[in-house]
Amino acid sequence: MGRNDMTSTPLRARLHHAWRPFRESGRIARGLIYSGAGVIAGFLLLAFAGPLLYPYGGTQYRVETEPGEFATFPELAPPSAEHWLGTTKDQFDVFARIIDGATIAFTVMTLAVSIAMVVGVTLGLFSGYRGGRLDRIAVTAMDAVYAFPPLVLAIIVAFVLGAYVSPGVVSATFAVGVVYIPQYFRVVRNQTLSVKEEPFVEAARSFGARNRTVLGRYVFFNVVQTVPVILTLNAADAILVLAALGFLGYGVQPPTPEWGYDISQAVDDVAAGIWWTALWPGIAIVLLVTALTLVGEGLNDVVNPLLRARGKAGRKLNAMPRLRRARRQDDAERLAARVRDLRVGYRTADGPLWAVDGVSFDLRPGECVALVGESGCGKSSMGRAMLRLMPPGGVVHGQVEIGGTDVVTAPESEVRRLRGERAALMFQEPMTRLNPLQRVSDHFVEMIRTHRPKTSRDEARSMAREALVQVGIPPTRIDNYPHEFSGGMRQRVMLALSIVLTPRLIVADEPTTALDVIVESQILSILERLRAEEEVGILLITHNLGVVAEACDRVAVMYAGKIVETGPVDEIFNNPKHPYTRGLVASTISLKTTELRSIGGYPPSLVDPPQGCRFAPRCPYVMDHCTRRPPELAEVGPEQRAACFLYPGAGQPVPYDVAVPSGDPQVSGI
Amino acid sequence: MHAGSLGRYILQRLALAVPMVFILLTLLFLLLHAAPGDPVTATLGGRLPPEEIAARKEALGLNDPILVQYFRYIGGAVTGDFGNPITDPRSVTQIVLDTAPATIELAVAGMLVAVMLGVTVGALSGRLRDTPFDIGGRLFGILVYAAPVFWTGLLAQLFFSVHLGWLPSQQRSGGFDAPKDITGFYVLDSIITWDMAALSDVLAHLVLPAVTLGLLVGGIFIRLVRVNMLQTLRSDYVEAARARGLREHVVLFRHAFKTALIPIVTIMGLQFAMLLGNAVLTEKTFTWPGLAQALVNFIAARDYAAVQGIVTFIALMIVAVSLLIDILTGLIDPRVRY
Repeated sequence: MGRNDMTSTPLRARLHHAWRPFRESGRIARGLIYSGAGVIAGFLLLAFAGPLLYPYGGTQYRVETEPGEFATFPELAPPSAEHWLGTTKDQFDVFARIIDGATIAFTVMTLAVSIAMVVGVTLGLFSGYRGGRLDRIAVTAMDAVYAFPPLVLAIIVAFVLGAYVSPGVVSATFAVGVVYIPQYFRVVRNQTLSVKEEPFVEAARSFGARNRTVLGRYVFFNVVQTVPVILTLNAADAILVLAALGFLGYGVQPPTPEWGYDISQAVDDVAAGIWWTALWPGIAIVLLVTALTLVGEGLNDVVNPLLRARGKAGRKLNAMPRLRRARRQDDAERLAARVRDLRVGYRTADGPLWAVDGVSFDLRPGECVALVGESGCGKSSMGRAMLRLMPPGGVVHGQVEIGGTDVVTAPESEVRRLRGERAALMFQEPMTRLNPLQRVSDHFVEMIRTHRPKTSRDEARSMAREALVQVGIPPTRIDNYPHEFSGGMRQRVMLALSIVLTPRLIVADEPTTALDVIVESQILSILERLRAEEEVGILLITHNLGVVAEACDRVAVMYAGKIVETGPVDEIFNNPKHPYTRGLVASTISLKTTELRSIGGYPPSLVDPPQGCRFAPRCPYVMDHCTRRPPELAEVGPEQRAACFLYPGAGQPVPYDVAVPSGDPQVSGI
Repeated sequence: MHAGSLGRYILQRLALAVPMVFILLTLLFLLLHAAPGDPVTATLGGRLPPEEIAARKEALGLNDPILVQYFRYIGGAVTGDFGNPITDPRSVTQIVLDTAPATIELAVAGMLVAVMLGVTVGALSGRLRDTPFDIGGRLFGILVYAAPVFWTGLLAQLFFSVHLGWLPSQQRSGGFDAPKDITGFYVLDSIITWDMAALSDVLAHLVLPAVTLGLLVGGIFIRLVRVNMLQTLRSDYVEAARARGLREHVVLFRHAFKTALIPIVTIMGLQFAMLLGNAVLTEKTFTWPGLAQALVNFIAARDYAAVQGIVTFIALMIVAVSLLIDILTGLIDPRVRY
């Protein structure tokens, strides 16, 4: 869904799209919205049908018993069948005043927020569109208004307006409305400014679309999700400001029923022990404001991607049972890691999916194994699962043995001790992986002393300096903050953090993706040295085959959650067997490339993966039985295995007339 | 190196505050001069003979061209001269000195309540997302925000003062126990003079207004801290901290919680403004003799000159507080200094 199609798609489709987060939102967000909306509907009913149903009006103090004969209401009567919520000292009926107060509240709230929105949006569009000095002055002025105490502002506006019009709905509306103008101004102005510079607006203009129409439409669709949130929260606040004005005597003209004013009239009653005159208007305010806020908060939950719950929707996956104590296994070979039938599952709204589905491999000390595949094939899930770092709703099944501990079933404390000490995980985005508030030294000291409590601060610092030197960072910079380093340096700091406790295993998840070639080769050579000199086992997760060729011994190719081929680097590059691997190798550019080939189609959905071989829908060699059952890893070379029915041992006899691909796919084709 | 960059940062903030003050004062001047007629007539018209009113107008410089009045106003404001009320013999500056400490004391106490409440409930809510505690915490945050302070104050008075008789419900002190007035901040004064009877009396008087005011802003803090906590909990560096094998409570406190608090400090200036606004209501409810109460009284008397002076002071205070908050943010968060 590109942004460029925005002008051409019809309004309904765009709104439908804007509504999507709501359809996908969690139960709690919807619950907030529905319960709030219910209460608001109740108040609307009260405000507009109430006057017709309840016998008395808000400023009525007597009732006509016979023509010309009036009976006045009692003063301060407690709630009764006659007067449901009692009467006030002015002989008004409390419930009737609540009803009329609701009408006033809705009227002022709607008008005030509408005024604020219209003024704020207009000024924001204009200011953002014009830019320049005018814009800067407008922004500062709006910031100034925004920073000013809202209630004091409303009081002053009501005070000045009081010189022109008698206090009432009009002056209250303006006084309340002024407060919210800056918020709309800000949102719309910022959008206008950013949209104005977008290339697609330029493009739309050159096609002859009128500037303002284009701009207006883009801004509209970009704010259509945020403005309702502001709107509802402002409406809630408006009720409070109106009540405050009423309480102070600057709201509507007495004795017009208004909740805040009514409470101010009831102050003396409270001291005398009369509760009903003050209690009910207050409850009305609390209920309506709460309801509006619930709707606003719920909408915010829905709209704000950062607040959307992860791993909460859809069917839950069962986790593997945890053991109370770690089961120790002594394998003779002393592998850096031994992975058996690893499965990593997530809960999604569309249903559970297995991002990693039955992966097994061994990693020997001093060996570098590359895990390659397209994005979304489950590589990163693998990396995290190796240390059982799962997001909410994620589960790991199978076996991951590191240093005699089964990471999948070991108790949390055991796995925690393993992380960073025996096995380190490096991530791909170096910019955001260090705590911005901590000095680099704090990161080291904290980690070293967690795993080795007997180390002193000074010892930890000198260990940190050593590790920094190893990755080529001057140890004098140990007390700098993360933001004082470049991206490449931060990744080297992360690497230093990974190696400072000399782990036996490093899982590096795209460690060089965000970096330039020079930093990339620096990092790779450090990993290479660790491997050769320290015998560290390295699992390098990447989609960059160049990196693989430079750094690794063996390659495992992953497709849609499964390993489709493994083998020594040379074999995988020069004589790949699986059609997917062949496609992958063929699509990389090298000196041998004569034409750029790529694999057609897309990886399958993991919620409902193909029954047979997962690559079958895209495979040029697809045969009938490929779609029926998944192939097993067949031995295709001394150390090479491919999960493909083209080769004997995959679980199906190979037809004699099949042309089996061989050789370098960049030369001989997929 | 750090001190230098911090100094530069503070200078930058100061430079930004100047146009802010200027525009704010201009807006206030325009707003208050939008009313028809002149302040003297508005306040005293009909109560004094016309020649007396004309003489007063002349004395206050209200017959000068509007631009002259404007520059006099700006000049006065930046030198601490906020003009003279029409209905009070004291200068506005004197009134501010007499009443502002009470308001500031109340606001600071309210802020303290708000921060303590907001940070604990908000952080726990964020950590225990979507559990009954979270839903209860969120609902509590919304409810205390939704209840008007004057109403909560009234209920609190009814319950704690009238019904239980535990706490006083009016004024800053019980009169006889009032501390010797040195700074005007009663809590401070009673500590300086080491007057324990006064201190306990002053604190007892402070509890209800401060809690009433603090609950309101506390509700906002709960929402904010919760959301920030949710965001830092899923941040990259928290995941990386876990990957380094740190203990869960270290991850939660040192990494997630501490960074979640920074935006709270950043918006504290805004919340302080809101607190001041609602102090108007709290002071009226608890007959707290503060600046906001004085403002309300002058508004009731339609004393434009006094209102203009007091509001100008409030505006300057707001800018000063937001400057202070900016500097505080610079001290806490190393990133913003650059």
